[in-house]
Amino acid sequence: MVDPKLMTEPVKPPYAHTDNMFALFAAEAWDHLWPWSHHGFKRRRAVLAAEFSLAIAVSIAWILAAIGDLQAGAIIGWWFGWSVFEVIIRMGSKPYVKQGPWWGRVYRRATLMDMVCYVGFKNLLIGATLFLALKWAGLIYV
Amino acid sequence: MQTLLTVLRHCVVSAALALAAPAALANAYEAHLPAEINTAPQLCDYAPCKDIFPNATSFSERKGRPFYVEAYAEADGKRKLLGYVVLSTDVTDLPAYSGKPVITLIGLDAEGRFAGVKILKHSEPILLLGIPESALIKFNDQYLGKFVGDNIQVGQSRPEENIIGLDAISGATVTVIAQNQVMMTAGAAVGRQVGILEPVVREQARFIERKHAPDWNALVEEGSIKRLVVTPEQVGLPRGSEPFIELWFGYLNQPDIGKAVLGASAWSNLMGRLKEGEHALFVVRTAGKESFKGSGFVRGGIYDRVQVRQDMDAFTFRDLDYYNLYSVAAPGAPAFSESGIFIIRSDSFSGAYPWKFVFLGNRVDRATGTRSFANFDADYWLQDTYLEGGRPHIVVPDAPWLRVWKTRAVEIGLFVALLIAVAAVYANRDRLTRASTRKNKWPVNAFKYTGWIISIGFVGFHLLAQPSITQVLTWFHALLFQWTWELFLTDPFIFLFWIFIIVTVFLWGRGLFCGWMCPFGSASELLYKIAGSIGLKRFQFKLSQRAHDRLKWLKYWVFFGLLAVSVFSMGLAEVLAEVEPFKTTFLVGVLNRNWPYGLFVAVLLGLSIFTERPFCKYLCPLGAALAMPSTFRWFGLRRKQECSTCHACAVGCGSLAIDKHGRIDHRECMLCLDCMVLYTDDRACPPLVKERKQREKAGLALTPIGEDGYYIPIKPVPARAAGSTR
Repeated sequence: MVDPKLMTEPVKPPYAHTDNMFALFAAEAWDHLWPWSHHGFKRRRAVLAAEFSLAIAVSIAWILAAIGDLQAGAIIGWWFGWSVFEVIIRMGSKPYVKQGPWWGRVYRRATLMDMVCYVGFKNLLIGATLFLALKWAGLIYV
Repeated sequence: MQTLLTVLRHCVVSAALALAAPAALANAYEAHLPAEINTAPQLCDYAPCKDIFPNATSFSERKGRPFYVEAYAEADGKRKLLGYVVLSTDVTDLPAYSGKPVITLIGLDAEGRFAGVKILKHSEPILLLGIPESALIKFNDQYLGKFVGDNIQVGQSRPEENIIGLDAISGATVTVIAQNQVMMTAGAAVGRQVGILEPVVREQARFIERKHAPDWNALVEEGSIKRLVVTPEQVGLPRGSEPFIELWFGYLNQPDIGKAVLGASAWSNLMGRLKEGEHALFVVRTAGKESFKGSGFVRGGIYDRVQVRQDMDAFTFRDLDYYNLYSVAAPGAPAFSESGIFIIRSDSFSGAYPWKFVFLGNRVDRATGTRSFANFDADYWLQDTYLEGGRPHIVVPDAPWLRVWKTRAVEIGLFVALLIAVAAVYANRDRLTRASTRKNKWPVNAFKYTGWIISIGFVGFHLLAQPSITQVLTWFHALLFQWTWELFLTDPFIFLFWIFIIVTVFLWGRGLFCGWMCPFGSASELLYKIAGSIGLKRFQFKLSQRAHDRLKWLKYWVFFGLLAVSVFSMGLAEVLAEVEPFKTTFLVGVLNRNWPYGLFVAVLLGLSIFTERPFCKYLCPLGAALAMPSTFRWFGLRRKQECSTCHACAVGCGSLAIDKHGRIDHRECMLCLDCMVLYTDDRACPPLVKERKQREKAGLALTPIGEDGYYIPIKPVPARAAGSTR
């Protein structure tokens, strides 16, 4: 029977049962930063190389930005492209999102829109932080 | 048929032309200016100075610091000074709402009255389509004939405070406040240089000689020697390990500092050469290859790379104001590759008051290669231990944004109270929904409808505080180019509204703003409710869930489209953001815009009479932007397990946000609370009705309804044994 309190079926990530708050926090932080999963690796081995290539390209873009060789617009373009790709990766490897308070432990299956919202919001925060940090450090100048 | 097609074609062409007309008028929007306008000595060869002084027959080269140009007319074979022209960016690059400056050519007549103003380039999105550029021209025309030394401010005149008021532009307050600052700063900069404005005479410092000899580090630590560093990135050059220039400077008239830097005899020698009211400062360069004296310096000229500013007064140096500095006596002084002593010959300057040392450089735009002037400065103020009586008390005038907050304090207070009240009412929604029933929702609706009316009248039409997707795009732009908090604080209502929106979206989802506080959304639903109550209910309809589920994605595409376009062209994104009817409805007014905009608003509001919030559900890009984080709101609405099979709430949901399984999509929910009223209504919620009937049949008491939406269970308590005592 469908639970009307949840928008989709409940899902438990591997770390959801831990009682150690620090471990849970660390696992969630890792989840936010690392879109791949072991399960995802197995299922998506064919595209793994492409995914990593893109990840490397993004990293290079940030490094280029750090040495002042990329315009701010290009960084945003790269970051946006990466976000689109991350949505696809996560839908295959970590297809869940949290519902309700962020300190809670209610997870559910992510629809494509849920994942777009999650990755978009998360990467906006990460991107803005990195962008401002680079700007503050004088590594990019616009 | 052919005639019909012709009529249609004419309509489409007319609409396109009408829409394009304001854009065509907006000829200064992102206008291309020749690169030389920023640097060429002959400014008026590249800027339309003739538009400022039509009778002028010649214009001088750029002169002074900051630069200005003299306008002359030939009369009876004599050259007569008509006035002065200044390019605003030669004085200040203060950004307007777009994060970029409004580049303006400003003219002063020989008596110091504004003689002409011409906008050469701006990036203000609101002036592209929302408000005609002529509105800013009309605003600028208010300066004509006014004296540059007057206290001119945006807002009402206050003769008792000698404030001359200027009419603002509705919907472009930030732009005109920034423009006023530019006009007054640039005008004053010229006025002071040419003697129109009297220099401020400051009380001269009386020094305390402490008879100590601090070393270099001690002098730096106490602030008697300051450092000014300009990095290559700041002047548009590739980042490097070495600064573009690193300068150290200090004030030498104070005996302890002067003797420590120069040595006692050199200092006495220097002071002996200074007259009353003259001041000496030293400058040394410890890094960088650029000369602070300037490579093009010629005898008789002025040093064009350094300057001292005290409040609004600028002090430049001529060749006779320079002495060589061969060594620094203070132990621990760094090695330097260029040095000098500059003399300020003006009793307008005082060592007792704060001042700035300014390095005047050029910035190269790495994208276009164009150069523009850029000032880099460092503050200096002698420690009070060196001054008799300590530092003088200085009254710093309020920043423009602070003046706005002060002058509109009452409205701001009311607005904040409104936002807090709405949040507090919603936080207590459980009480309100329990006091309501399906047939009588007034405990909820009284607050909600009051909120709508205040939102439309006070927030929308009076305060013009309609949040918009253009603000999101503007922030994005400002983040990239120049983020200044002052800019956003200048519109206090929008600033506060966004704090409310961000907080409530994460607490409860977008529904509290969209459903209760958005002026246009409120107007839209209020129309729907009024139409229903005056007999038009039979014409009102809801789309099928299937159609809604498809159409709702449209607003997300609109939002993503605008976001993508904004990365490439903010201007185009702002044009496309006209999909929001907010400017036409509130900011500019239907009567002040071309008919297609009015027609668009009329269609949207007309549709709202027959179906609930069509714009909010299917088109609003701001709604889509807020819906996305609403996915992760903390507190949602309640549900019972039976909701998965019972469709009572879904049938009544005006937002069509409840699916066939009884799940509420908080991205679409407007938090009308109808389903929450039903949730605790034991005469309307089917599972609860069933439980009530069962209890009544069994003769059981009807206990209060718990948070889970059911009666609180009756738990039998074992009877106490007879005669037992506590």
